[in-house]
Amino acid sequence: MIKKLTMMAAAAAVFAAGCGKPSDGDGATEGGGAKPKHKIAYVTNGIDPFWDLCAAGVKQAENELGGVECEIHFPPKGLADQKSILETLLTKGIKGIAVSPIDADGQTKFLNEVASETVLITHDADAPKSNRQVYVGTDNYKAGRALGQLVKEAIPDGGEVMIFVGRLEQLNARQRRQGVIDELLDRPHQVLGQVKFDEVAKVFKGDKYTVLDTRTDNFVMDTAKSNAEDAITKHKDLACMVGLFAYNPPRCLAAIREAGKLGQIKVCGFDEDDDLLQAIKDGHAQGTISQQPWKYGYNSVKVLKAILDGDTSVIPANKFIDVGFKVVTSKNIEAFWSEKRKMAALGAKKD
Amino acid sequence: MKKNILGILGLFIFIFIFTAYYSEPFLSAYNMQNLIKWSSLYAIMGIGVAFVIITGGIDLSIGSVIGLVASLMALAIKKGWDPNFAVVMLLGLSLGIGLIHGLLITKVKLQPFVVTLCGLLVYRGISRWMTDNQTMQYPGTDKLDSLFSGKVLMGSFGLPAPLFFLIVVAILAAIFLNRTIWGRYLFALGNNEDGARYSGIETDRLKIVAYVICSFLAGLSGLLFAYELDSVQPAQTGEFYELYAIAAAVLGGCSLRGGQGTILGVIIAAAVIRLLRNSINLLGISTHLEYAIIGMVILCGVAADEIIKRVMARRRTAQVTTARK
Repeated sequence: MIKKLTMMAAAAAVFAAGCGKPSDGDGATEGGGAKPKHKIAYVTNGIDPFWDLCAAGVKQAENELGGVECEIHFPPKGLADQKSILETLLTKGIKGIAVSPIDADGQTKFLNEVASETVLITHDADAPKSNRQVYVGTDNYKAGRALGQLVKEAIPDGGEVMIFVGRLEQLNARQRRQGVIDELLDRPHQVLGQVKFDEVAKVFKGDKYTVLDTRTDNFVMDTAKSNAEDAITKHKDLACMVGLFAYNPPRCLAAIREAGKLGQIKVCGFDEDDDLLQAIKDGHAQGTISQQPWKYGYNSVKVLKAILDGDTSVIPANKFIDVGFKVVTSKNIEAFWSEKRKMAALGAKKD
Repeated sequence: MKKNILGILGLFIFIFIFTAYYSEPFLSAYNMQNLIKWSSLYAIMGIGVAFVIITGGIDLSIGSVIGLVASLMALAIKKGWDPNFAVVMLLGLSLGIGLIHGLLITKVKLQPFVVTLCGLLVYRGISRWMTDNQTMQYPGTDKLDSLFSGKVLMGSFGLPAPLFFLIVVAILAAIFLNRTIWGRYLFALGNNEDGARYSGIETDRLKIVAYVICSFLAGLSGLLFAYELDSVQPAQTGEFYELYAIAAAVLGGCSLRGGQGTILGVIIAAAVIRLLRNSINLLGISTHLEYAIIGMVILCGVAADEIIKRVMARRRTAQVTTARK
C-alpha cells in the first residue's frame, strides 16, 4: 500500500510539472461567446529549426485569421511517432490536420483513414495517392534550377561543382538536385511530377560546368562535415560546393574555412541557416534559396480554415498550392534575415 | 515478486484514471485500440530483453534487429521471394543472431554490453547497405498484413493483431519462467552465476537460450512493426527501441543485477510507457516534454520500488529479531 501511494505521489508530481505549462499549440484562448473556433493541428516530420519557422507561420495565421485554434506537433522519432500522434488527434476529434508525410507510399492507407475522419492536407511533402484535399509545397525542381543559377553567378567561368545532401530518398532532395544539374548543363526544363533523375554516383560534364558525384550523410552532422572535407581533399580544382539541406552549407563553409580556402571555393545553399546567412553577408557564400518555411505554416492554416468554413475554391484543379521560394543574395540579405529573425522568435515563443 | 506487480499496476491505474478524468476521448474505442496495439508491440520486445536481464546480461541490439528484419522483409518482397518463406527465414535469422550473441558471450567470454553494442552497429549498417538505404514498403502481401496488423472485431471494438501475439508470447514465457525447471535455473543463474554452476546447472546453455529468445522476439517485433507502419526506413526503423524495451523490463521489476523479473510486470510497464505518451498527447502537454516525463516516471517508479524493498527487508529483519527475543 505504502508503495502504491509513493508511486502515485511520484507520478502526480511529474504530471503536475507537465501540466503546469500549456503545450506549444494549445495556448490560444477560447473565443468567449463567439462562433466556436475550428480546432486544427499542424504535424511535422520531425524536430528541426526548420519546423520552428513553419510553426511561426502557423501561429501568425492563428493570430491574423482568427476562428482557428492550432496545435503543433513535432514527432520526435520518425514514422511510428507520427502515426501515433495522428491517431491521438483523431481521438481528440480534431477538425483539420496538415501533415508532412514521412513515407507517402507506405502511409497512403493510413492517411486515407485519417482523411475519412477529418479534413486532411499535406505540406512540405505530398502523398499524391492519398485522399488529402490539397498539397501546400514548393516546386523543388524549379527551386533547384534557381540554385543552379546562383552557382552560375558564383563561378561564371565554369568549373567543378559538388552537391551535398542529407538523404536522396526524399523526393524534394532528388528534385532539387536534378534542378541544379539540369541548369548547370543547360538542359531543357522538366515538368514537376515527371522529372527524370540522374544517377547519384555519376559525374556530369557540360560545356563549362562539371557536376561531381553527390554525397549523402543521413542527417549525421559529423558525416556532413567530413564529406565536405574529403571533397576538398579529393578534388583540387573544386570551384563550388552546393548544400541542399539546411545544415549542409554551414558544414561546407566550416570545411572550407579550415582548409584555408574561404572565398576560393564558393558555396551556394538551400534554406536559411544563420551560419549560411552570415557567410552571404560576409561574402563567403554566394546565396541561398529559401522556401520561407513560415509560408508553409501560414498557408496550411489558411487553406484548412477556408475548407472548414465551406470554401473549397481555395483548392486548385491540380491540388497543388505553390508557396514559392526566395533567392537570397548579398543584395537582399539584411531584409530577409530580419524577417527570419522575427519568425524564429515567434516560432520559439512558448505561449 | 507479487509486490513488484502491485507497484507498477498502481502506477498504471493512476495514470489511466488521471487521463480518463481530464481527457474525454481517452476512453474511446479508437484510442483504446491504439493503446492496446502499441503496448503489445512494446511488451513483446520487453519480454525478450527481460530474459536476458534476468541472467544479468543486456541486449542493445534489439532496435537494429527490428530494423534489419523489417528492411530485409521489404527487400525480399521487392526481389519477388515468397513472402511466407521470407517470414520463416527472417525469424530463423533472428534465432541465429541470438545464438551468435550467446556463443560470443559464453564461449568467447565477451561482455554482453560489447557484443550487443557491436550488433547494434553491424545490423543497422547491413540494413542500410543491403537496401541502399531506400525507404520501402510491403506491397502485395495482404495476408501477412492482416496477420501482423489486422484487427479481430468484437462488436465494434477491434482487437489488434499484436495483442494476440503478445498473449501467446506472454503465456509461453510465463510458463517457461515459473513452471519449468529451466525457469528456476535462469533465476538461480542471475542471482549467483558461480553458485548455479557449482550446483551443476549448465549456465552457458541457459544464457544462450536467453539471448536466442531475446533476438527472436526482436525479430518478431520487426515484422509486427513493419506491417504496422507499412513502411521501413533502414536508417531509422527501430532506432532506440532497445532502450524502451530495457525501460519496460526494468520498470516491470527486472533488476539489471539479474535474478529478478516477472512477465506480467514487463507487460504492464510497457503499457505504462505507451500510456504516458498517449496521455501527454491527449492532455496537450508539450511533446518536447515527453521524454522528460517518461524518464522521470521510470526513475521515480524504480526508485520507489528500491526504497520500499529496503523498508520491507528491514521490517522483516526487525520482526525476526523480535521473535527471537
